[in-house]
Amino acid sequence: MNVPTTTTPARRGLRPGLTREERARALGEKCATPGHCVLRAEDLEKSFHRGVPPFRHAIEVLKGASLMVCAGDLVGLVGENGSGKSTLMQIMVGLLGRDAGTVWHSGRLGYCPQIPMLWEKLSVDEHFELFTRAYGLQDGAGAKAADELLSELDFERYRAYRVEQLSGGTRQKLNLALALMHEPDVLLLDEPYAGFDWETYVHFWEMSERRREAGMGILIVSHLLTERERLDRVYELRDGRAVAG
Amino acid sequence: MSAFAAVSGRFVSEHLRAPLTLVLLIWIPVFFVFIFASVVGEFAKALGGTLAGQAATAISAGWATAFLCGVLAFFQVSSSRAADRRLAIAGLGPGRVAVSRIMAALAIGITVSAAAFITLWLKSGIGHPLHAAVAILSFAIIYIGLGALIGALVKDALSGSLLVLLLFSVDAFTNPQMTSSSLSWTPTRAASNLLIAAGGQMGSPTADWVEMAAVSIGALGVALTAFWLAARARS
Repeated sequence: MNVPTTTTPARRGLRPGLTREERARALGEKCATPGHCVLRAEDLEKSFHRGVPPFRHAIEVLKGASLMVCAGDLVGLVGENGSGKSTLMQIMVGLLGRDAGTVWHSGRLGYCPQIPMLWEKLSVDEHFELFTRAYGLQDGAGAKAADELLSELDFERYRAYRVEQLSGGTRQKLNLALALMHEPDVLLLDEPYAGFDWETYVHFWEMSERRREAGMGILIVSHLLTERERLDRVYELRDGRAVAG
Repeated sequence: MSAFAAVSGRFVSEHLRAPLTLVLLIWIPVFFVFIFASVVGEFAKALGGTLAGQAATAISAGWATAFLCGVLAFFQVSSSRAADRRLAIAGLGPGRVAVSRIMAALAIGITVSAAAFITLWLKSGIGHPLHAAVAILSFAIIYIGLGALIGALVKDALSGSLLVLLLFSVDAFTNPQMTSSSLSWTPTRAASNLLIAAGGQMGSPTADWVEMAAVSIGALGVALTAFWLAARARS
């Protein structure tokens, strides 16, 4: 299912009823297999306004950033602190509005924010229950997905704990699990391993690679040079633009 | 169980699990009705108002409800903003998050109103229990609207809670019964008139009922808008 979340294909001259290949050609897609683009951002611009008049000023963060993720791609997004990586992610998932540009994605989208966005007083199980509703999963499917992720990330024993009782690393596991529970077609991860111990960190990459092999398109904000060998492609955010590395 | 009921049920749990909330739920009505009411008459006298005795006791139950509901609605928005927005983009949407939040706020408001009503009944008895219950609930709804609105506009928890307190103080201390130099209109004016009349076993004019209903419906609209603003994408 193609979901034009924030762009209007009509504006790009795309008529309804195009085949995957025709759409891919029209969009100038560069995926190895035409029609396998799962996320595309074009010419994104974003400024933040700070201060009060007459001292109000704009901080330009994104100045035409564009990137693309194909099905089965593990793509990195790197850049200095404050370069706009999280801003770009938030615009692509719809948490933040944009000044210009378009975003398009196909199928289900999963998002793991850099800082866990959780309810302190709710338990791990209650989080899964709420996101089961939000993703529109059947109760049984949601419970099965939760069981599998709790086991895969090895935090089953904390399922009755409230978030306020969890360590930073376990909160991050929950943060990641919530992004994965509906098996998205495209997954955006904003430094998802902050707080993980080494064993969990290694396990995280194994999980990501398994999902890539299953056809999931993954975009991950990464800082470490050693991770680049794990990635199919890398974009660097420089001067507000995403440059393919 | 509908998605709304399930989600709002979790939102209610989230707030009632804070130990301080439960303590405040008991102590704020007790403080207002048993302690504050006994001195508020002196305040009113000093300010040129007429509030005293049974009327002071009755209106204190309303103010206890207003204060608690305003603060709780503010923190419903303030402490859950990020997680609510994540839930909205996951597929629930800001509208459904807002409706779930308002259902949760109303459930908490009814609980707070019940605590205040029981406290008032224990202290002095209530001439018209049904009128009093409706008036106390109106205090709750009006302050859910105000608290949620402040939560949507003010991100800092300290600034926001102080703003709720300031608004409450202005509303309470400019009430027509409280001071001779009162504002011609305050959000809880009609609810105050109804509550005082109900406490003294008197009926109320239709105009007060209409005004209270209109303000309460408006407050619900404000609350819904505020919860929606907090859950939608930022610009």
